[in-house]
Amino acid sequence: MRAFEPDGDGSVHAVLEPVEAALLAQLAGQVAGLLAEQRGGAAADLAILRLLPDAYPDDSEASAEFRRFTADELTEKKLRNARILIADCANAADADGPFTIHLYAASIGAWLRSLTDVRLVLATRLGITEEGDLAPDDDEEALMLTDVYDWLGFVQDSLVSALEE
Amino acid sequence: MTLTAESVDTSVQTALDSPWVTIVWNDPVNLMSYVAWVFRSYFGFSRKEAEVRMLRVHNDGRAVVATGSREEMERHVEAMHDFGLWATLTKADA
Repeated sequence: MRAFEPDGDGSVHAVLEPVEAALLAQLAGQVAGLLAEQRGGAAADLAILRLLPDAYPDDSEASAEFRRFTADELTEKKLRNARILIADCANAADADGPFTIHLYAASIGAWLRSLTDVRLVLATRLGITEEGDLAPDDDEEALMLTDVYDWLGFVQDSLVSALEE
Repeated sequence: MTLTAESVDTSVQTALDSPWVTIVWNDPVNLMSYVAWVFRSYFGFSRKEAEVRMLRVHNDGRAVVATGSREEMERHVEAMHDFGLWATLTKADA
């Protein structure tokens, strides 16, 4: 991948390998699947609890009520963000080689949020919940997920940087 | 402007209510650059102000990012959850 750069008119572009675009779409799709599965239910899954956290730290009743009023709309927004990212990645994922994708204002907001959601879910799965936590390095899958997690951080940071230039 | 009993009542009530605050908590996932960007684009903080609040989150574990009515703070917390930031609200004097 070549990092995001500003186009000069508010949009940004990056060059993605097909496998990278496919991975981004796959991860966003998995998080969307998780959200859709848990829709309307109590936030039992730790990852869902991180995507839709308690609003009142010392008041579980108020937190439950807040969730009742906000979870549906927040879930819809997160699903929409994932769909936008997946659609933006489609051409790059099907390309024969490195592919330049352009993101405009509406997509940029969706990408930043969707990348965040994916990283939050991956971090929960890897047990990264406190500052200083390291992902386990004793099994192949965790090592692979850690690489993906770090790479997503690079993608997101490069997108934020491109907005600041 | 004519003061009515009702409007005086409402504004006095609002003024005397202890305010609520929106707090953003540190987490190991969200990038410092992203948190600062959220503070700028959502709260309209200047680059410097956003940086100061972001560093407060990072170094102190939490920072107050808004003060006001409970309803307003609930809207901010919902917006922060939309961005994926870990935010809560509480009474200012709590």
